[in-house]
Amino acid sequence: MTPIKMISTNSISKTVSTTQGQLEILKPISFDVSEGESIAIVGASGSGKSTLLSLLAGLDEVSSGEIFIDGQAMHTMNEEQRAQLRGAKVGFIFQSFMLVQSLTAIENIMLPAEIAGLNDARSKALKLLQLVGLDHRAKHYPNQLSGGEQQRVAIARAFITQPKILFADEPTGNLDASNSDKVEQLLFDLNRELNTTLILVTHDPKLAAKCQRQLQMHAGALSEITSSENAE
Amino acid sequence: MKQAAFNLAWRLFKHETKRGELTIILLAIILAVGSVLSLSLFSERLQSALTAKSAEFIAADRVLDSRNPMNEQWLAKANEFGLQTAQQVYTRSMVFANDKLQLSELRAASSTYPLKGKIKVSDVAFAQGAFTEALPQEGEAWIESRLLQSLDVKLGDEIEIGAANFTISKVLVEVPDAGFNIFGGDPKVLIPLDDLANTQVTGPGSRVTYTAFFSGSSANLNDYYDWLRPQLDNEIHRWKSIEDDNSPIGNAVSRAEQYFLLASLLAIVLAAVSIAVAAQRYSQRHYDPVAIMKTLGASKNMVQQIYLLQIIFITVLGIIIGSVVGFVLQQLVVWALADSINVSMDAWHWRPLIIAIFTGSICALLFSLYPLLKLFSVSPLRVLRRDLGANLSSRIIQFIASGGAIFLLMWAYSENLTISAILFSSGVLLVLALLLVTYGLIWLGRAFGQGRMSAWRLAWARIHRRALDNSVQLISFAITIMLLLVVLVMRNDMVQQWQDQLPQGTPNYFLVNITQNQQSELAQHFEARKVNVEKFYPVVRGRFVAINGEKIRTAVSKEDEEQQSSGRDGLGREANLTWSDELQTGSRVTAGHWFNESPLSDTLDTEQYGVSVEERLAERLNIKLGDELTFNIGSEVVQVRVTSLRDVNWQSMRPNFFFVIEPKALAHFVPTYLASFYLPKEQKSELTQLMLPFASVTLIDVDARIDQLRNIVEQVSLAVEFILILVLIAGSLVLVAQVQASMDERQQELAILRTLGAKGRLIRGSVLCEFIIIGLTAGLMAAVFNELSLYLLQSQVFQMEAKLHWQYWFIAPVAGALVVSFLGALSCWRLLKLNTSHLLRQMV
Repeated sequence: MTPIKMISTNSISKTVSTTQGQLEILKPISFDVSEGESIAIVGASGSGKSTLLSLLAGLDEVSSGEIFIDGQAMHTMNEEQRAQLRGAKVGFIFQSFMLVQSLTAIENIMLPAEIAGLNDARSKALKLLQLVGLDHRAKHYPNQLSGGEQQRVAIARAFITQPKILFADEPTGNLDASNSDKVEQLLFDLNRELNTTLILVTHDPKLAAKCQRQLQMHAGALSEITSSENAE
Repeated sequence: MKQAAFNLAWRLFKHETKRGELTIILLAIILAVGSVLSLSLFSERLQSALTAKSAEFIAADRVLDSRNPMNEQWLAKANEFGLQTAQQVYTRSMVFANDKLQLSELRAASSTYPLKGKIKVSDVAFAQGAFTEALPQEGEAWIESRLLQSLDVKLGDEIEIGAANFTISKVLVEVPDAGFNIFGGDPKVLIPLDDLANTQVTGPGSRVTYTAFFSGSSANLNDYYDWLRPQLDNEIHRWKSIEDDNSPIGNAVSRAEQYFLLASLLAIVLAAVSIAVAAQRYSQRHYDPVAIMKTLGASKNMVQQIYLLQIIFITVLGIIIGSVVGFVLQQLVVWALADSINVSMDAWHWRPLIIAIFTGSICALLFSLYPLLKLFSVSPLRVLRRDLGANLSSRIIQFIASGGAIFLLMWAYSENLTISAILFSSGVLLVLALLLVTYGLIWLGRAFGQGRMSAWRLAWARIHRRALDNSVQLISFAITIMLLLVVLVMRNDMVQQWQDQLPQGTPNYFLVNITQNQQSELAQHFEARKVNVEKFYPVVRGRFVAINGEKIRTAVSKEDEEQQSSGRDGLGREANLTWSDELQTGSRVTAGHWFNESPLSDTLDTEQYGVSVEERLAERLNIKLGDELTFNIGSEVVQVRVTSLRDVNWQSMRPNFFFVIEPKALAHFVPTYLASFYLPKEQKSELTQLMLPFASVTLIDVDARIDQLRNIVEQVSLAVEFILILVLIAGSLVLVAQVQASMDERQQELAILRTLGAKGRLIRGSVLCEFIIIGLTAGLMAAVFNELSLYLLQSQVFQMEAKLHWQYWFIAPVAGALVVSFLGALSCWRLLKLNTSHLLRQMV
């Protein structure tokens, strides 16, 4: 049985206007990602990793090409439709955690569920909070938590809607070694348990190595450097 | 989805309120509502108190004057409307006693007169007197001291008015509706209304004014007037209230009302400025949450609902707290003033509360419109690219929304297009000028912001870099300072003018009928007793009969007199004519030339001399420069040509004349003289001694009038003072909010400088320098535009003489720099007390 294509891209590119004219920051890229697969996008700063991530997640529009997410043509959608798609199928983890500062840990976790209009957001959030080992910190605000704790809250938030795809942008970039390990562990465990497709942007080779596939970005162009055999 | 948006909005609101993140915008709304409520409630209550107090000066809330006998049905109808009524009939009549006669002002009053204020009587002539509730009984008359003097009668004696005799039972010291013209008027005689018919003085041909007095609630009065108005005939009837009264009191009250209105309008603008500042900051602080929500799948619609709901929650909370604060503040002022302002302030007015709520809502919604639109436009991509701000950059929306909101609020509130337009257009000009200045500063920043690292350099570099933010800040500082200046300087000018009107030592006694022989003797006699007689004015009585040879009906009729301002009693069938080479103090030539300066005088033939006519009288009788006026003086006819028109200050409590004739024209007439002098209260007992040798000279005591006038002006001044303090407090709070908001924006930079090891002294110094530069600039700009607004306000609205206020060109920039830098330093110190990691963490 052929694996279901969760992400499919066909010659997507991104061009921006500058004072010096048009600048192509992403050269035409085509690749597919199957359901449940974990992929690391690696590359130096400025190589276009984050741009690719923003296009795949529908945070930005492609200049040309096609993107299909779980069979839906995202490149034809407007901002509103893309937001809806993100709400239904996508989860995020960011380097700078991006928690809402004026909501408590548990409320941050509940946020996507509430936006998606799911029932019993609170009990789901509580379960996830237990899972990431922070149930005693439920009513704490982000600035009362350590970096590692904040990222664990962000992971719990990412999984509450049981997304089909999880985008993680340098998830351990702001963490020390021991916290990084905890967060990585959690990320991959949940990924496996829930059969989520994981797209991870990092320049940490150790973290990248834990993914089934590694894609290398270099000056806006993509090349595949490993295949799933190397993954953990 | 709606439920989710509500839950999220509510949760965000709850937490952010608890964590103090909404403090600034909440404070701004509280300030807006609180200051508008306290100011307008206080001024409304004060106004109605002052109106009630000053109503005593017309003896009622409303007065209807009529040339025909009062329609009894109208009075009955007034009672049906729940109004109290009284009547008075007023005419001039000769009074006889001891073979002497004297023209008097006869007042016949009904038993309920006066509805407001009290009559003062005494048992001896020229005494202080005491208030009484009573009125003369049937067959009795109360007469003024000078009538006692001129008729040589005493209490208990009989006088003859027309066909009836009256017994003098009291000396009439004061009636509330005496008016402010203190000489030239004939002595008053008060008799019961029922006795008037017996005198038979009101027959055909006599000039009589029938007055009806009304008092009651303003709603009832207005309803009654609505009913009455269609039946009134402008030729015959005149309806008046104290506001229409062009007396010193009426003027003071209406000017104070305009001032309160101005202060409240400025409070609205201050509040709006503070909300604009706060909303801007609120919006910027929510860029991240909006980007996160959008990333997590929230639709634009949902984000809009969440934040609109949140603004509504904040507004409602702000309005509730603001109303309480405003009410308490206002009540405190009322209590503080209770001893000084002797008027009841118990009335509650709903209008201020409605206006305050309206202001709070409109300000909060319209001023947050642009920041909110900006917020809604934040791209979800910001989660990856933190430098991305809002996509919306059109400031036009901001200017239209906020400018429109301010103008609408001002207009709706003041119902006065002129005052709103003046304030608004000076504001717009100020903003434009400030934008120019900001660009100047950017340029300066580029020039100064280079070289060795110092606090001075860092300050200029920051001004340069944050040009746009600074322009908003500069504008809000300058507007705040300008508004405070307008309120302050306006109050100073106004109070100064009131005080100048009645300085200490204003003559409180007038002498009339001084013969030429008595003049020098009297002057010596007074001087020996150290009483200074200011000036002797020669007076002849003349009848004004023709303009350019065309006979005039009754010269200046009684009704016309009533329309004439306070000078009304100065001109009867006969006018007091004076002559003088000098222009009187307080008068101003508005057209033509004063006699000795007149180019016309050379061209006139020897028999034709000049006359100067009071401007408003000239307007009323359609007298133009160059017209020939004819007077009958005794048996002679005198013709004079109009060489100038004068603006006369009738409120000065000094002798004033409608006609001043060139001295040569009246040289061969024997005048009597008129003079005034000031006698301190403690010397009042010497008065009889002083007047003893001059029994034929009539003394007019205006001490009580002046006291009354001064008293009300003092109360109004005090009230204005309190309003000023309220506005100053509101303004200072706005400044604090502005500095606080800008400090938060600076926090990141401070944290970075701190992390990089910059010394506290350098950071403090640079912040101080930056605020000093901004404060100085804002203060200077405010002084310039204060001058412009004041000029427009004083000349267009307050009818005052506008002048420049150079001292504020210095005071405003210095005070601006001091206050702004002090507040800035204070906030900066607070931030620097926190440790660096705490600072950095707050930034996340």
